[in-house]
Amino acid sequence: MRDNNLPANGGKGLAARGTGRGEGRIAVATEAVCADTFPKLLMRNARLFAGRPAYRHKDLGIWQVWTWAQVLDEVRAFSVGLQELGLARNDKVAIIGSNRPRLYWAMCAAQALGGVPVPIYADSVAEEMAYILDHAEVTIAVVEDQEQVDKLLSIVERLPRLVLIVYDEPRGLRDYDHQRLKWIDDVQKVGRDRLSAGAGRLQRWEAAVAAGRGEDLAVMLYTSGTTGRPKGVMLTFDNLIVSAINGNRFDSLGPDEEVVAYLPLAWVGDHVFSYAQPFTAGFCVNCPESPETVSEDRREIGTTYAFAPPRIYENLITLTMVRMEDAGRFKRHMFHYFLAVARRWGEKILNREKVPLHARLLYWFGERLMYGPLKNRLGVSRIRLAYTAGEAIGPEIFRFWRALGVNLKQLYGQTEASVYITAQPDGEIYADTVGRPNIGVDIKIDDNGEVLFKSPGVFAGYYKDPEKTAETKTPDGWVHTGDAGLIDTKSGHLKIIDRAKDVGRLNDGSLLAPKYIENKLKFYPNIREAVVYGDKRDFVCAMLNIDLTAVGNWAERNNIVYGSYQELAGHPQVYDMLAEHVEEVNRSLADEGMAGAQIRRFLVLHKELDADDGEITRTQKVRRAFVAQRYAPLIAALYGGAREADISTEVTFEDGRKGMLSARVKIRDVQTMPVPTMEKAA
Amino acid sequence: MLGPVLETLIGGLMTGVLYSLVALGFVLIFKASGVFNFAQGAMVLFAALSFARLSEAMPLVLAFALSVLIMIALAYAIEFLVLRRLVNQEGIILFMATLGIAYFLEGFGQSIWGSDIYKIGLGLPTNPIFILESVFPGGLLIDPAELIAAIICAVMVLVLAVFFQVTRIGRALRAVADDHQAAQSVGIPLNHIWLMVWAVSGLVALVAGMMWGAKLGVQFSLSLIALKALPVLILGGFTSIPGAIVGGLIIGAGEKLAEVLLAPVLIRTFDLAGGGIENWFAYVLALVFLLVRPQGLFGERIIERV
Amino acid sequence: MRAPSGRDIAAGEALLAVENVSLAFGGVKAISDVSFDIRRGEIRAIIGPNGAGKTSLLNVINGFYQPQRGRITFKGRPRSAMRPYEAALGGIARTFQNVALFKGMTALDNIMAGRALKMRRGFFWQLLWIGPALAEEIEQRRRVEEIIDFLKIQHVRKIQVGKLPYGLQKRVELGRALAMEPDLLLLDEPMAGMNLEEKEDMSRFILDVNAYYGTTIALIEHDMGVVMDLSDRVLVLDHGVKIADGVPAEVQSNQAVIDAYLGLSH
Repeated sequence: MRDNNLPANGGKGLAARGTGRGEGRIAVATEAVCADTFPKLLMRNARLFAGRPAYRHKDLGIWQVWTWAQVLDEVRAFSVGLQELGLARNDKVAIIGSNRPRLYWAMCAAQALGGVPVPIYADSVAEEMAYILDHAEVTIAVVEDQEQVDKLLSIVERLPRLVLIVYDEPRGLRDYDHQRLKWIDDVQKVGRDRLSAGAGRLQRWEAAVAAGRGEDLAVMLYTSGTTGRPKGVMLTFDNLIVSAINGNRFDSLGPDEEVVAYLPLAWVGDHVFSYAQPFTAGFCVNCPESPETVSEDRREIGTTYAFAPPRIYENLITLTMVRMEDAGRFKRHMFHYFLAVARRWGEKILNREKVPLHARLLYWFGERLMYGPLKNRLGVSRIRLAYTAGEAIGPEIFRFWRALGVNLKQLYGQTEASVYITAQPDGEIYADTVGRPNIGVDIKIDDNGEVLFKSPGVFAGYYKDPEKTAETKTPDGWVHTGDAGLIDTKSGHLKIIDRAKDVGRLNDGSLLAPKYIENKLKFYPNIREAVVYGDKRDFVCAMLNIDLTAVGNWAERNNIVYGSYQELAGHPQVYDMLAEHVEEVNRSLADEGMAGAQIRRFLVLHKELDADDGEITRTQKVRRAFVAQRYAPLIAALYGGAREADISTEVTFEDGRKGMLSARVKIRDVQTMPVPTMEKAA
Repeated sequence: MLGPVLETLIGGLMTGVLYSLVALGFVLIFKASGVFNFAQGAMVLFAALSFARLSEAMPLVLAFALSVLIMIALAYAIEFLVLRRLVNQEGIILFMATLGIAYFLEGFGQSIWGSDIYKIGLGLPTNPIFILESVFPGGLLIDPAELIAAIICAVMVLVLAVFFQVTRIGRALRAVADDHQAAQSVGIPLNHIWLMVWAVSGLVALVAGMMWGAKLGVQFSLSLIALKALPVLILGGFTSIPGAIVGGLIIGAGEKLAEVLLAPVLIRTFDLAGGGIENWFAYVLALVFLLVRPQGLFGERIIERV
Repeated sequence: MRAPSGRDIAAGEALLAVENVSLAFGGVKAISDVSFDIRRGEIRAIIGPNGAGKTSLLNVINGFYQPQRGRITFKGRPRSAMRPYEAALGGIARTFQNVALFKGMTALDNIMAGRALKMRRGFFWQLLWIGPALAEEIEQRRRVEEIIDFLKIQHVRKIQVGKLPYGLQKRVELGRALAMEPDLLLLDEPMAGMNLEEKEDMSRFILDVNAYYGTTIALIEHDMGVVMDLSDRVLVLDHGVKIADGVPAEVQSNQAVIDAYLGLSH
């Protein structure tokens, strides 16, 4: 293995280094030399795991199975067929459709000849596809069905390079003009005919496979940034295969895993979890019957390893809760009782902590009566390892799954990293971290708080965009993630706190991640909304909204009389309570090495931030700059040292009328923790 | 104490299986055509009479085969002469029709076969078996004839349940039960299904009649055991085959246990004459069920269509 | 919306011809002297205001009602009184206005029930449920699975249809009719009570059935947009009388049709 895959020693400052089962990397290296491309891995698997299942697909209600040897046969025929139809080295092959075995095989068939698959999101509209097909210079498209064929035919005029469309599902396409359209079966038939015509053809194909090198381009994955056109991330075989092998080692994944492939082919997650990892580890990929049957299919297969963005885990819980509301009273009581037991003890048991005997017994009953059947229903009975990634998962949802005994872990990754940057090792699970660097990954946090990484998976570049590539990747191989993070001092894990571009700086140079602090504040039920300021200022201030339900309840319990929201918000006792919350937040900030960003002064707004007034978006995100402008007198008072300030703003009432609302808002100073001098250095 | 109770329970369960069998005949017809077949009891009597009298003249196997044919012919006659002409009539009219069939069959059966008490000798062993002698002093007594009858009934019930659940005819039957019109539109012939259902419940009646007849002798009162099937149906639900089975077992075991356990208490506390609980217990249980869970244990929830 | 497939319906042979049919319940006339035909391979719409006799006409074709007068020729053979069972046997399948599924059965069993006529093994084999009967069951299951795949209802296969949302029930009902592999498919308001998305799906399925299986379809529908998009020819009834018959464009501009709809605007 080439030296440049070994991380340069020691990042500066807060760098962390992937350790784990480090000695494995040598073994990895030798393995990868023998089979450094996916087609080579396929041939290896057809030897090593010949009779073992490689792909399953539920079709017409029955699970169809292909062994590794059969997959090799299918891919070979497909590949030779494509070659006969003109596929040449470095040609780009678009893959469009849902998770079907033959679309995965199309990738391998193209790679065998040095072609480069370009998976495209199947739900893209024709316009979006046109851009990628044109930008990637695609010559052949392998698509699922009539729907995708129709989309391509509607834009084919604009794509002179696209000479061939191959489809998997023939329904409805019989009467189409087949000049530039071919059914996969027919392509494979061409291939099989050639292969059986003489042994020379097979050797030629195998020679083509052998000619592939690890540093060759393996795949291009287009990522849509929040702004601008999608960028084509180029990943080499080395990127994907070494990352996948390291990933397999990190979680000891072997040939016995079962995964269900249901996430978009164009997402790097699916490409690694449903393609690179099964090819390297030799486990079976199961393709669901339809997007709606995934849960049922998962249950039938008994998935052991799963991967999903948080929303999927969230949806499953919501579904369960809704179903329980319809259940009988006895069942519902039982459900809630054992759910409470699980919440109390489940995670501790999963983490192998010390747990009293009666709790264990209760949990055991719970497993028999509720968790077991529920997990079965959700298709996660046999799950050994489940990852959530893509965005932050709500701590409640995260803990729910762990409480049921599902080993859900967090992972932080990017397309540019071939997924893996950090992950939580077993036994080190926290709701608010994304874990340690994976094997072979180095991370560091730069002066602006941005997380950078360096790993064998670092992408080769953005296709036809050296400028963007240079912006993202430093000459010595570090990649900017665009995320701001910090290393948690207690766990040594990485925490992602904000988008790097949203992170500001106080005048003394301390970093400020406003959203991170706001989220900490909003964690308290009494605080509905929080807006934090401090960028280019001397210290941090916050404006808070109380949560009327929570604080109202509290007021009732404490015999506090109030006539209006405004009155309650301005009540001194409410201020006392919120001040305590703010101080707690300060303490935790100091603990986490962000002592410089502690809140010195805060106030409680006299009205709720309202989407009708443009203060928050319809999706409940605070528009910080707009709020600052609207409440400029308050901000001035916060930083000017006044004890209170007058404000009057125009508001929109429920019925659409507008009116002026004025108030005198008090400002409170809060205690801060001392700033340790060491931290300043960082 | 436990020994005798267990013995009663076992005896009760065996009787219960026989109840299940009779109830099953009702369920089949009710499911397929929505008709509450009041003639089920009469069919039991008619079948038992035929078999008893035929077996006097010929070997048991032949008598059985002939009885089967008779029951099928009877089903055919009922379908052809009565049901076919009453398609799409109100449920109450069909019920009245079965009432007529019931009285006709009772009378007609006795005019052909005679009205004495006839014995059915199935040649079943009569020496009682004792089990679990190591656990209970003297062991538990089991009547082998009852045991065999129970096993035959159990097998029959099982076969029918499976047949109607998994085969195409079973599916057709469930389809007809759900929606006559839709079933016709997909080409399921209503008449054939009805004929088949009546034939099958005729067979069920025959088996039930043979078992009861072997136990009590064949006589007019046999048609009254159909009344015992009523509480069974209320318990189990009118449309549920498993319901008929479980309902039968509960009633069978319940009434025997009530006789043994409840009767002494009633006699002691209320100074009653006691006895006879067996005769009304099932109906009280059914009444309670009607109040608490009118659709029965397994029945579909009753939803009035608007 | 329709893909021009180059076929010429106008020249097609009549699969079903209705001649001077009249139907009355007691003294109430439901259909008066209606004649029309359905050609092999076409999608034929029957429209008209409420109470125009559309459903009665379907019931006559499918054998639920016997007309007092008139003649019906199906596949070139005249037929007199016919029972629904015989209509089904002859290749006429239908769906119902208010979804008539077997509510207690799963979607799969419902569609399997649609294959009742395609199963040939006798009662005896059925009883044993082995040998040829089992093999046949498996073959039938495969055909049914193709329909399930076609209609994209895999996810509800094992669910009791009574628990399904209305749009899906309609789809299962269509599946049950398709399972009969009919020559003539009668759809009674296939899109009633559906939202826009469901209507679009259903329209696509109807077109696909027509194109893929080559099934002749007669449908009753209220949504004029759907009718104009889907159908080759449109028959318009009002108070049991035929008032227009022709291609959508003709019918749309027909004064009698406009009057019938305006006069009874609802």
